[in-house]
Amino acid sequence: MAEKLPTEAQIAHQELIDQLDIHSIHKSFRNPHWRPNQRRNKNIKTILGDAQRKEASMAATPQDNNSGDVTPAVGGGGDAENGLSTSGSSTPAQSAGGGGSSNNLQPNLAQASRSLSKLVLEKSLRPNGSGGAGGGGATVSAPSATYTNVESAPSLAHTRRYCDVTGLPAPYLDPKSRLRYHDKEVFGYIRTLPQGVPEQYLEARGAHTVLK
Amino acid sequence: MAPMAIDTLMPPLPVREQRSYPPAKIFNVKETRFEKHVAPQPDGRAKALARPDGDAAIVIDNGSSAVRAGWSLESKPRVSLPPIMAKYRDRKLGKTYSFAGADCYADTTARGHIRNAFEAGTGIVSNWDVEEHVLDWTFLKLGMNNAEGSIDMPIVMTEAVANLPYSRKSMNEIIFECYGAPSLAIGIDSLFSYRYNKGQTGLVVSSSYSSTHVIPVLNSKPMLAQAIRLNWGGWHAAEYLLKLIRLKYPSFSGKLNASQTENMLRDHCYISKAYDDELRSYLDWTGLEERDIVIQYPFTEEVIIQKTEEELARVMERKKESGRRLQEQAAKMRLEKLMRKEEELEYYRKLQEKIADANKKDTKRLLDGDDLKDEAQLERRIKELDKSIKKARTKDVGGDPEEAQELPDFSLLEVPDDQLDEAGLKQKRQQRLMKSNHDARARAKAEKEAEKARAAEEERLDRERRDNDLEGWLEEKRIARENTLQRMKERDRLKADLGNRKSLASQMRMKSIANLASDNPRGKRRRGGDGDDNFGANDDDWGVYRQIAVGEGGSDDEDAEEDLEGNLKALEEDLLRYDASFTHEHTWEAQNDWDKSLLHAFMRGPRPFDAGSQAETHQIHLNVERIRVPEVVFQPSIAGIDQAGLIEIAGDILTQRLVGLPGINHDDFLRDIFLTGGNTLFDGFDDRLRQGLTPLLPAGAPLNLRKAGDALLDPWRGAAQWVGSSGWKAATVTKAEWQEKGQDYLKEHDLGNSYS
Repeated sequence: MAEKLPTEAQIAHQELIDQLDIHSIHKSFRNPHWRPNQRRNKNIKTILGDAQRKEASMAATPQDNNSGDVTPAVGGGGDAENGLSTSGSSTPAQSAGGGGSSNNLQPNLAQASRSLSKLVLEKSLRPNGSGGAGGGGATVSAPSATYTNVESAPSLAHTRRYCDVTGLPAPYLDPKSRLRYHDKEVFGYIRTLPQGVPEQYLEARGAHTVLK
Repeated sequence: MAPMAIDTLMPPLPVREQRSYPPAKIFNVKETRFEKHVAPQPDGRAKALARPDGDAAIVIDNGSSAVRAGWSLESKPRVSLPPIMAKYRDRKLGKTYSFAGADCYADTTARGHIRNAFEAGTGIVSNWDVEEHVLDWTFLKLGMNNAEGSIDMPIVMTEAVANLPYSRKSMNEIIFECYGAPSLAIGIDSLFSYRYNKGQTGLVVSSSYSSTHVIPVLNSKPMLAQAIRLNWGGWHAAEYLLKLIRLKYPSFSGKLNASQTENMLRDHCYISKAYDDELRSYLDWTGLEERDIVIQYPFTEEVIIQKTEEELARVMERKKESGRRLQEQAAKMRLEKLMRKEEELEYYRKLQEKIADANKKDTKRLLDGDDLKDEAQLERRIKELDKSIKKARTKDVGGDPEEAQELPDFSLLEVPDDQLDEAGLKQKRQQRLMKSNHDARARAKAEKEAEKARAAEEERLDRERRDNDLEGWLEEKRIARENTLQRMKERDRLKADLGNRKSLASQMRMKSIANLASDNPRGKRRRGGDGDDNFGANDDDWGVYRQIAVGEGGSDDEDAEEDLEGNLKALEEDLLRYDASFTHEHTWEAQNDWDKSLLHAFMRGPRPFDAGSQAETHQIHLNVERIRVPEVVFQPSIAGIDQAGLIEIAGDILTQRLVGLPGINHDDFLRDIFLTGGNTLFDGFDDRLRQGLTPLLPAGAPLNLRKAGDALLDPWRGAAQWVGSSGWKAATVTKAEWQEKGQDYLKEHDLGNSYS
């Protein structure tokens, strides 16, 4: 008698689970021959990395300058490649020009080797320039907005300091743990924290040390 | 010395009044749960099929917080589910189970296998198996299982602003290849919401679950090149709050998860109109009742069985009864023993008498018969028995055994050694030992008496002084109290310092150790000149041993080396009794009580905390967090996000990017600042944005904010409304077009991303 009889609640639960399960339901609306790529799950970092590598390798290999408009199909392909590009709008003048004539969309090597974040920064540090040029493009068709370059730039405003423990305004900094604190009682508390905990407080503020 | 005076002379200790507190606002913790099974709804499909071709579509708002899907003909989505799935194999049943959406929460095993379709904290789909599952579930519930071989309806979906081409390609692949849909149109959720709310030109501020976007729209056309994303949304806020709570209650015993913090955010958090001002006084005691929110986690009360009076009495009676029985037994045993001893004594006395009359041989026989060596031993035994009987009798009677005891015999001590034989010497030695013992006891007794007398005398003098010069006496006590406090402070500091190897205190300690260990101690005392350094003349000199011993687990304060706290308490009691100006509020204990502590207000709210109460140890107090977490969208640096805040972004777009464009009236954008997305639902979001933007704009600028009618459902409604319009028809990509034009093909339109 190793088997125990399931209780009523267990039976009801099993029934519910069987009812909720969608694995056993035959789904007639799906293509039975659909076999997705086993490695289709990629995170953003990989996708961006792949795109950047592709771009760099394309820039490195000598290209036939006007292969882009030999056939429309290839032109579409060229477009697609640039769709992967993350530095499409590195200089507004270029992309605005790109909007006009579709054949010299390939970024040069120097551009491709530049880091993405720098490009984004450059872009947002010149809001006037890009605004002017982009505005011209915007009414016709927007120049490429990519996942990385729509990201907000670092703030230019002063950051206010808040106590890491309580969140109140923090005029003081503990040089030992690098935590900001509100008053002497909080300081006493900080000093009694066990090892490693101050680092967690810093992590919540994004000021922790990352060992690589 | 603590005052041990006669009670009648002492005024009573003033009683500290107990405060009472109004009951706290307590909310039970909430989290996402499985609600009920959603049955497939085939009627929607029947309705859609009845419409002329190309007039109806399946609309899916593919959001990272919830996927909402339904028919374009209807006013609201049919199903809404979180984009999660759980799949596992039950080995016992040999069956694979898979669930999607809230169904995952129905089973504990399934809950452990939950995976999300979206990359954590972004609006980008990264797990396509999960996405497929979620879509499967959606289509099943929409009754699409009646369709043969494919989804035979056009599909409208939403995606993130500036979605990655790779992820658009994968979505196209699934929609066209796996589901075989005839066509697909993709747009941006917040733009759908803006369209639904009849926006033409304005600034769309969409703060949603995975991110916050600001998009300027001109004549119904988005200026995506000017759009900006801030990587902060409801998901981040929930994770941040979870992190803060974990840090606030490091030993919390309840189970914490992000779904709970999401609910806390929704129910109790709000955006402060003036963050810094409100924050500064947030933990002040006045009004903390209002600001402090208590979240109660489930707990099991420790059951303390309350016995009735009657039961307690019975238990007491039983205890007494058994005690009495034991006592009786012991007394009986004692009596028996005594009787036995008396009999024995009688026997030995008779023996002695017999011996006295008998000759040597008979004596020897008699003694051997009782295992005795000689007459002396017999005598000793008789004496011993006599003594113990006497002792037992006095004990029963209750006399003092010590008093009744006769002085031992010290006769031999006076006799010189050479006059004694072997046995005599032995006895003398024993007597000497006994005498010194006896003397020591007497000395100790006398000392005790003297000490008692001294204490009484001191007490008397103290009282006299108090009676004659109360002010001076009080002053003395006050100074003593100050000194004690000072010493306590110093002790604490020393203890803290010794934790640090480089502190002065530690180095002094090392020096003393080295000094004590060396053969010829050379320290600063050498300056005194000659060899004798008077070490020990000052009582504090001996503290050197305490100092160097501190490393051993700090046991010396348990030794009550000096009971500073006890001293302080005695002094304070004196002051409480005789000093009218010294009240309970002034005691050290009261000054360090919880109601002076900021951290107590922060962690435990405006009431005392009882660590023994299971209910209270399972409570979370939200106070500063209520404004601290929602504030991050305006000041991302609070949570360590190195990006500009929402006001700065919107201000930058309005004052820098949109200025000086030909043919654009800059004020048109200001007239319609449109808020949508779940993260804008916080109280005060619009007020705060308005307050923040006003100083950035020229005086008299026509700033106008409005909220979406329904910040959560309007994107879906906008997309549903769009179906059938000419814009939709132009934006739709058919399967044939997709096959011809490439995997991530997209038609640009007024509500979607640009095909970069």
